[in-house]
Amino acid sequence: MRQFSLTRRFLLTASAATLATAALLRPAMAQTPPGVLIVGQIAEPKSLDPQAVTAANDFRILVNLYDGLVRFKDGTLEVEPALAESWEISEDGKTYTFKLRPGVSFHDGTPVDAEAVKFTFDRMLKEDHPFYNTGPFPLAFFFSSVENVEAVDPATAVFTLNEAYAPFLSNLATPTGAIVSPAAVEQHGADFGRNPVGSGAFRFAEWRSNEAVVVEGNPDYWDGAPPLQAVVFRPITDANTRTAEMLAGGIDVMVEVPPVSLSQFQSGYRIVEAAGPHVWYLMLNMKEGPFTDQRVRQAVNYAVDKEAIANNVLEGTATVAEGPIPAAFGWAYNPDVAPYPHDPEKARALLAEAGVAEGTKLKFLVTEGGSGMLDPVAMATAIQADLAAVGLDAEIQTYEWNTFLGEVNPGLEGKGDMAEMAWMTSDPDTLPFLTLRTAAMPDEGGFNSGYYSNPDVDALLEAARVATDQAARADAYKQVQQIVHDDAPWLFVANWKQNAVTSEAVENFALQPSFLLNLHKVAKN
Amino acid sequence: MKLFLSLLFRNRLAGFGAVVLGIVVLAVLATPFLPLPDPNATDTAQKFLRPGTAGHLLGTDHLGRDLLSRLLWGTRLSLAVGVAAAVMAALGGSAVGLIAGYVGGRTDNIIMRGVDMLMAFPYILLALAIVAALGPGLLNALIAVAVVNIPFFARNIRGIVVGLAHREFVEAARLSGMSHIRIMLSEILPNVVPVIVIAMSTTVGWMILETAGLSFLGLGSQPPTADLGSMLGEARAALITAPHTALVPGAMIFLIVMSINLLGDGVRDALDPRLRSGALSRPMAAALVRRNGPVPEASDDLLALQDLHTEFHAGKRVLRAVSGVSLAVKPGECLGVIGESGSGKSVTALSVMGLVASPPGVITGGAARFKGQDMIGADFETLRRLRGDRIAYIFQDPLATLHPLYKVGRQMAEAIQVHHQIGNAEARARALDLFRQVRIPNPESRLDSYPHELSGGMRQRVGIAMALANDPDVIIADEPTTALDVTVQAQILSLLDDLRRERGLAIVFITHDFGVVAQLCDRVAVMYAGRIVEEGPTMAVLEAPAHPYTRRLIACVPELGGGRRELAAIPGLPPAVDALPPGCAFAPRCDKAQEACRAGDIALEGASPRRVRCIFPEEAIA
Amino acid sequence: MGRYILRRLISAIPVLLGITVIVFAIMSLIPGDPATAILGAYATPENVARINRDLGLDQPAIQRYFIWLGNMLTGEFGRSYSLNRPVLDEILDRFGATLILAGTAFVLCAVLGVLAGVISASRQYGWADKAITFAVIIGISIPSFFLGMLMILIFAVRLKWLPVSGMYAIYGGGGLGDLLTHLIMPAFALAVVATGVVAWLSRGAMLEVLRQDYIRTARAKGVPERRVLMGHALRAAMVSIIPVLGLQAGFVLSGAVYIETVFQWPGIGRMLVDAILKRDLLLVQGGVVFVAAIYVLFNIAVDVAQSMLDPRIKT
Repeated sequence: MRQFSLTRRFLLTASAATLATAALLRPAMAQTPPGVLIVGQIAEPKSLDPQAVTAANDFRILVNLYDGLVRFKDGTLEVEPALAESWEISEDGKTYTFKLRPGVSFHDGTPVDAEAVKFTFDRMLKEDHPFYNTGPFPLAFFFSSVENVEAVDPATAVFTLNEAYAPFLSNLATPTGAIVSPAAVEQHGADFGRNPVGSGAFRFAEWRSNEAVVVEGNPDYWDGAPPLQAVVFRPITDANTRTAEMLAGGIDVMVEVPPVSLSQFQSGYRIVEAAGPHVWYLMLNMKEGPFTDQRVRQAVNYAVDKEAIANNVLEGTATVAEGPIPAAFGWAYNPDVAPYPHDPEKARALLAEAGVAEGTKLKFLVTEGGSGMLDPVAMATAIQADLAAVGLDAEIQTYEWNTFLGEVNPGLEGKGDMAEMAWMTSDPDTLPFLTLRTAAMPDEGGFNSGYYSNPDVDALLEAARVATDQAARADAYKQVQQIVHDDAPWLFVANWKQNAVTSEAVENFALQPSFLLNLHKVAKN
Repeated sequence: MKLFLSLLFRNRLAGFGAVVLGIVVLAVLATPFLPLPDPNATDTAQKFLRPGTAGHLLGTDHLGRDLLSRLLWGTRLSLAVGVAAAVMAALGGSAVGLIAGYVGGRTDNIIMRGVDMLMAFPYILLALAIVAALGPGLLNALIAVAVVNIPFFARNIRGIVVGLAHREFVEAARLSGMSHIRIMLSEILPNVVPVIVIAMSTTVGWMILETAGLSFLGLGSQPPTADLGSMLGEARAALITAPHTALVPGAMIFLIVMSINLLGDGVRDALDPRLRSGALSRPMAAALVRRNGPVPEASDDLLALQDLHTEFHAGKRVLRAVSGVSLAVKPGECLGVIGESGSGKSVTALSVMGLVASPPGVITGGAARFKGQDMIGADFETLRRLRGDRIAYIFQDPLATLHPLYKVGRQMAEAIQVHHQIGNAEARARALDLFRQVRIPNPESRLDSYPHELSGGMRQRVGIAMALANDPDVIIADEPTTALDVTVQAQILSLLDDLRRERGLAIVFITHDFGVVAQLCDRVAVMYAGRIVEEGPTMAVLEAPAHPYTRRLIACVPELGGGRRELAAIPGLPPAVDALPPGCAFAPRCDKAQEACRAGDIALEGASPRRVRCIFPEEAIA
Repeated sequence: MGRYILRRLISAIPVLLGITVIVFAIMSLIPGDPATAILGAYATPENVARINRDLGLDQPAIQRYFIWLGNMLTGEFGRSYSLNRPVLDEILDRFGATLILAGTAFVLCAVLGVLAGVISASRQYGWADKAITFAVIIGISIPSFFLGMLMILIFAVRLKWLPVSGMYAIYGGGGLGDLLTHLIMPAFALAVVATGVVAWLSRGAMLEVLRQDYIRTARAKGVPERRVLMGHALRAAMVSIIPVLGLQAGFVLSGAVYIETVFQWPGIGRMLVDAILKRDLLLVQGGVVFVAAIYVLFNIAVDVAQSMLDPRIKT
C-alpha cells in the first residue's frame, strides 16, 4: 500500500542512521597508549585504604600503591625486606625491631619514618586513636598480638607482642600491614580510601566509580622506577564480558580466567599460572550422622574422583589436595602425604564395614559462588554423582554466598552432613588454627564448623605458633598434615592454581603464590 | 467445540502454535518411557560435546551429561513450574484485582497502593527474603516468581472490573439482594475469565525465564535436577566456548513461549463472538474489489449505482449482502432506501465510497458512478479526494462515529482541511459557521467540547455539519435519526430538508422507517435480502404498495397516538444471505406465496421510476 | 489537573513509607549481615561484634529504623560500607547512568514497539505482520543476558564495530559520540523484551480501534490513510497502550540489572544487587527507596498523561 512508503522510509533511514553513527564513531575508540597497562578486574574495589579491605581483588591494586615493612620474595611465600632494611627478633619472640630504609617518602612527599609506622598500626588497633573512626578495619586481628608500637627514632620502629607469634612477619607482608601516609589520612579522614597515599611503585591518579582506577608510575620509587607509565584497573564483573574484552583487545591483562574460557586464549596470548596456598574442601559433620565414623569419612575421600574435578571440571586450573597444608607453602609442606586415590571399591568396602546402608541420605550445603570457591555448583554436582556411585545419596542445597556463610559458620549441627569451603591464606598457621582446633569450635568463635577435635593437632599447632625456629615449625605442620589426612575431618578436593591471561605485548608478568599482583617490573611494548 | 477448533485452526499461526505445543507436551509426557540416558549421569571427560555426537544427539553439558535427556526432563519440570506459577499469580492477582475493582473506594485505594509497593520493590530482595524464610529450592522460586507477578494480574483485572462494577447487570444483581461475594463470583468473574486466561498464557514463558534469573540466589531446582532455567544458568559460564549448552534450553524456551503466545492469541480470537461474523479483522482503507462481470456503461445521473454486488467472506461462508442493486439520484433529489436490518441497505450505502469493512467485505460486481466516473475501480487517492468532499456520509449513533478523544471543533476543521488548504483559524471560523447552520446553540463553546460532553441530538447535528463541511453534491445518510427521540428526529429531518432545498444537494437516505421516508424523500427503494424489491415515487409507493413486503413495512409505521410498533410485526426473520432460497427471498414469510414464487429468479418488472420484484403484486403497476 | 497531581503525590507518601518499613525489615531478617560480608571466612563472633559496633549496628532494630528514617528525611542517606562513600553520592552517580540506559531503552521500546504494532495491525496477516509477530516472539523469549553476550561477540569481538563494555572509553573518552557507541548495544538488548510486549499489545489495541466506527467516519471524511492510522487510530489506541508503557518502564528498570552486568554499565540496578549480596544495609535501603520513589513518580506521570489524553477519565 502506497500510503505506507513514508513509514518504511522512516525505518530504513533510522537503521541507516544508526549504522552510520556506529561507523563514524569507530575512530573514537582510541587505542590504549603503549606504556599503559589495562587490567580487567573482577569487581570494583571497596576502598584503597589497605587496612579497610579484605578481598584479593582489592589487594591486587593496593600492593602496587603501598609498601609494607616487609614483602614476599618474588615467586615465594618467604619474607624479604621492603621499607624495613633489616629487623631483629628478641629471644622470646615478643619484640621486633625494624630499621627503616632511609630517604623513602610517600607520594605526597612526606617521609616514611617510624612515626608513620606507628600511626598506621595505632590507627588500626587502638580504639582511642583519633583516626580509628576511619575504619572499620576487618583484618586488624592479624595483629591482635601487637601490644605496642614505638618509634624509637625516625629510622627505628619497635613492635612489642603480648606473646610469641610466628606468623607475624608473614602478616606484615600482606597489604593489611602496608604503611599509609599519616598526612593523607589526616587530610582526607574517612575518604582516605578514595584518596590513597602510599609509597609504592605506582601513585594513585584517578578513581572513576565503576569504570576505572588509574595509577601512575612513581619515578622516585626506592626500588627503581617501574617501566609502565600507568596502570588502569577496570572492574568487569561478568566473566563472559571480561573474556570478550580480552578477546576484543579492550584489556591487556585478565585475572581469574574462568576455566572454560582458557581454550579461547591458546594462541596470541600468554597464559600465566601460579599455585597458591589455597584449599578447597568439604567439611564433614563429625558431631552427628554417618561422618562421626572415621571409616565413612575416609570412604568419601576414596569415592570422589578428584583428578576428574581438577582436570575436567576445572580444566586443569587446580591440583588435587592432600590435606590442610597446600604444597605452595613449600617449607611447611609434607611431600610424603599422598592424596586419597579414587577407589570406589575401597570406599564401598569401608562403608560396608562401618555399616552404612546403601542409599543413606546426606545433606550437602553448597554455595552459588564466593571468594575462592571456584565453580562450586558444578564441583558439588560432580561430587554428588561420585557419591551416588558408592551408594550415598547426597542431597544438595544451594545458597547465595553470604546466606551460605550465615548457615555454615555457626556449625553444621542440625543443618547438614557436609558443606563446601575454601580458604586462601598466606601462612600455614592460619587455616588449621582457625578451622581444626578444639578451641576453634563455632561456639568459641572459630570456624571448626565440622567439630573436629584431636589433642595432638591442638598441641602441634600451639607449638608451631610460638616457635621462632622455622625448621621446628615446618616439622609441626608436616605432622599436622599427616594426622589430619588420616583422620579425614574433611573431604580434601583441590588446590587452586590462580591464572591470568595477558596480551603478547605484556612482558615480565608473573603471578605470586601470595595472590598479590605485583606490577612493578611489568612492561608493555 | 468443533466450531471453536475450526476457528482456531483457521488462524494458521495459532494452529502452528497448537501443533508445536502439542509436540512439546507429548514429548515431555513420553520422556519417562523414551530410551534416554540418565539425565544426571556425569562423565566429566565427555563434557561440552557438540550436538550430533554419537550417543548424544544434542551434545553434553559442562559435566558431560546428555543434553537431550536433560532437556526433556527439564522441560517437564519447567512447564509444570511455569504453569503452576502462572496459575498462582493469576489466582492471587485476580482475587486482589477483583476485590479492589468491585469494592472500590478506600479499599481499592489501599490495595492498589500495596500493589504499587510490590511493583516498586526490587524483586531480588523479595526473592532473598523468601530464601530466608523458606530455604532454597525450585518450589520456593515458584512462589517468588508468582508473588512478583501478582501486581501484573491485579492491575489488569482491576481495570476491567472497575468498568464492570457499575454495569446494569451488576446493579440488578445487587438490587435482587445477592451477596457481594456471589456477585463477584457469579456475575463479574465469568466476564474477566477470558482476560485472565490470556494474560496467564502470555506469562508462562516469562515465569520459566525468571526462574533462570533467580538461580544464582539458590532459588531454582537443586543439583542435579534439570529445569530449563537452571540449564540456562549453568550454561552461562560457557557461553563463549560452548554456546550450544545455552542454545539448547534457550531454543526450547523459545518454542514454548512462541507456541503458547500464538495459541493464546488464537484462542482469544476464537472466543471472540465477532470473529464468527468475520468482523474481527481490521478494515482496510478501501474495500476490496474483485469484479467478475463487465462494468456497466456510464449514465448521466449525479450518483448512480449500477448492478452493485457486495459479499462478505467469512471462512467458507459467503454472505451476499448486496446482489445487483441499481439506484440513482439527481441534484436536489432525496432517495430513500428502506428495509429491515440485514436487508443490505447500509452495505449498499457503504459500498459507494468503498467503506465496507474489508476484510471480510468484497465488492464483486457493478459500478458506483459519480458524474459518470466509476468509483469502485478508482485508485485510492481518487476515492479519498471524493470522500467527504463531493460525497459525504452521516452515520447512525454519533457517539461511536465521532472520535472520542478529539474536540468536535477539531474534527470539523479536519474534515475541511483534508480537502482545502486553509489555516486553522479559517477552518475554525468555517466550523463555527456550519454549527450555526445546523442550529447548534452556543456554537462557539461547543467547538471545544468532546463528543461525550454533548447530547445525542447535538452530536447528530455535529455529524451533519461535518458532512456539509465541504458543500458536497451528495449526502448519504445512514439511519441518522434512529438513535434520537421523536422531537429531535423531526428537527433533524426538517434541517436536512431545508439544506437540500437551499443547496440543491442530493440525499440518499437509509432507514427502516417509512414514516421518515414520507417526510423527506422524493423517491423510495425497498430492499430485502440484498436486492431491491420495489421502487417508485414516495407517494405512489405509500399509497399503493405493490410488493407484499412493502405493504407490511408500511403497516409498521406508528400512527399518531398509536405508540410505536415494531418491525417484528412481520412474522419470521429475514433469511441468512448465504442461504437464500431460490426464487423470491420473501416467499417463506409471505402469506401470498405460491409454488411459482419459489421456482426461479424473479425480475424487477415495470417502467422506471415504478418497478416491483413480484409475480403476484398487490397492485398492478403501470 | 493540578489538584489531581497533588492528590496523587500525597497518596505516594504512604507507599514510600511502607517501602521503607518493608526494605528495612527484610534487610534485618535475611541471613548474613554486613560483618559476615566484610569478613567473609574471618567472621568470628568477636570480629563481627567489633564491626557491628563500628557500623552502629549494635542498637535495637526499631531504634535504627527511626534514626535512618529521620536522617533520610533531612537528606542524609548515610555511608555505604562496601563502597566507603556516602550512599547518596553513589546513588546519584549510578542513577544518571541507569537513566541514560533505561531511558534510551524505554524510548526505543515505546517508539519501535508502537511503530511495529501499528504496521503489524495495518497489514494484519500480511507478510509484515507475520515477520513482526515472529520477531516479537523471539524478542520476548530470549534471555537478555544471552542476547547481550551474542551482540558483544558479533559486534565487538568479531566485527570490532563497537566497544565491548563500559560507558565511556578508558582513554580519550567522555564525549557524546563515545557515550553513544557504548550505549547502542546495551540499550537495544534492554529494549528487546519490552519492545516485543509493547508491539504485541499495540497491535491488539490498534486492531480493536481500527474496527471502531469513528475510524470509518475519518475515512468517510477523506482523511489520508497515514493520518487515519498515525492520528485517529493511534491516538485512540494509546489510551490502552500508555498503561502498558507504564508497566514496561518497571520491567525495563528491573531488566537493567542483567544488562548492566553483561555490559559493565555503571548503573543503579547492578549496584542494588551487589549491595544486597554484600548486605550493605544503608546502600540497599537508600537505593530501594530512591528507585521506588522514581517508579511511583513515573506511574503518576503515566496516569496524568493518560488523563490528559483521554478527556473521559475523571481526574
